[in-house]
Amino acid sequence: MPEGPFGLDPVIWAPLRLIIAVLLAVGLVFNGALAQIYLERKIQAIIQDRIGPLHTGPWGLLQTFADAIKLLGKEDIRARLTDKWFFLAAPSIVFSPMIASFVVVPFAPGIVGANLNIGLLYLTTLGSMTVLGIVIAGWASNNKYSLIGGLRSAGQLISYEVPQILSLVTVVLLVGTLSMVGIAESQPDWRINFLILPLAFVTYFIAGLAETNRNPFDLPEAESELVAGFLTEYSGMRWAIFFLAEYGEVTVVSAIATTLWFGAWHGPLTDRLPLLGVIWFTLKTYFFVLVFMWIRATLPRLRIDQLMSLCWKVLIPLTLTNLMVTSVLLLAYPSSRIPVAIANWILLGLFGLAVPFFQRRRLASLRERLRAAAA
Amino acid sequence: MTYDVVEPIFFALLTIGIVSAGAGVVLANRITTSALLMAFSFLNVAGMFVLLGAETVAAFQVLIYVGAITVLILYGVMFTPQQPRAYGLFFQKQTPLAAIVVVPIAIFVALFAFSFRDAPEAGAKGHDLEPLATSVFRDFGFPFEVASVLLLAAMIGAIVLVKRDEE
Repeated sequence: MPEGPFGLDPVIWAPLRLIIAVLLAVGLVFNGALAQIYLERKIQAIIQDRIGPLHTGPWGLLQTFADAIKLLGKEDIRARLTDKWFFLAAPSIVFSPMIASFVVVPFAPGIVGANLNIGLLYLTTLGSMTVLGIVIAGWASNNKYSLIGGLRSAGQLISYEVPQILSLVTVVLLVGTLSMVGIAESQPDWRINFLILPLAFVTYFIAGLAETNRNPFDLPEAESELVAGFLTEYSGMRWAIFFLAEYGEVTVVSAIATTLWFGAWHGPLTDRLPLLGVIWFTLKTYFFVLVFMWIRATLPRLRIDQLMSLCWKVLIPLTLTNLMVTSVLLLAYPSSRIPVAIANWILLGLFGLAVPFFQRRRLASLRERLRAAAA
Repeated sequence: MTYDVVEPIFFALLTIGIVSAGAGVVLANRITTSALLMAFSFLNVAGMFVLLGAETVAAFQVLIYVGAITVLILYGVMFTPQQPRAYGLFFQKQTPLAAIVVVPIAIFVALFAFSFRDAPEAGAKGHDLEPLATSVFRDFGFPFEVASVLLLAAMIGAIVLVKRDEE
């Protein structure tokens, strides 16, 4: 009889492994969300020169637990005119793809739920399912603010999927595999993909901000204009599930960025102690989670037309150019990655230089219009 | 004991899912329910592709049909004026006509389905990415390009049609 790990029969080990993986993913999402909410409050407080949660537990550490218990204890409210089944289904449609995404996240060598050979495609696929949940939530709430939030979300998420996928494709072209483990293994030591494809990372991160509905792209819930967008009618548990899903998606996007551009689990001493990879991976992922929070605390929200023109007029042409340049250079110089790296850094530099230039021109045209209106 | 029994069970579940969701799309008298059931049916079809070892096709099925097409349909439904009453779709009132159209087609579909009875087993599972890429970008490269140019033309046409005059 073939022996599985720990001397277990493979017939028992296969379902056991599945259960362990699911429990770990759920635990990771729940604890991660608790940690991220605390971090978010503290970091925003520091940036805004406040103190943040302080009184519940040491350094306010228990504040999030108290909030979670409050949310769980709340009455389950559903307005009478909402569409019952849609209203109940929406949180799970948003939540389950996010949990499923953790299956292919490579935490360390050998510590991965499943090494799918289409790992990256699988992740983008699951990311695209979130839209459906949000649109349904907006529709089922039977409330005009919710509906506007849901429609905005549909437009936003479908549009930003294009630059997101195009940025991922450049990395796939470079590495030659869609498997997350394969991508991680392709960047040993310091030779991370960020040094070769910085522009793809920047465009992916911007698109990722939009895909997770985070500032400055949180138009679907925009508190100051839409009450709370598609979340208006939700409270208690269901609202908490939406927020768990949001924090989980932030983690997934950060994990993708870590794996694709920053060498996944690779770090000092991982050759000798592979389990150390988990710590490196978590640290890198949470660094990007912190960047998400930093951006949230510093940038104002975009207007819907600005959001769309940023995607269709800036990001998509940029990622398409990047994709074309990268593929041509990879065909022309199959043995060396230096030409690709040079082209990418030049494109990134041009992008960085063009932003203030266009901003100034836009401001000038706005002033012109104001003057014309005053005259 | 191994898990060979699991596959037929999943196949049965997916089949029930596809057929019942498909029937629900036609029978439900609310168009939003139909749209959501259609997404469910697409998901089950993706599950079928996974069972057949065509993971990439399954991923694209979900990405395009569940993630994009269904959302666009819901989008369209939301912009359509809704009556306060529950209403049947117009073709639900044309049962005899529908039967006349559907039965001959169903016969051909059934014959076609049974023609696969002696088909060979599916090949090695889970590595359909490379064959798919080779056939799309190498063997059928030209038709692929033609189709994409056609889609581009359609997109530009749509933009031109909806663009307001700059008056």
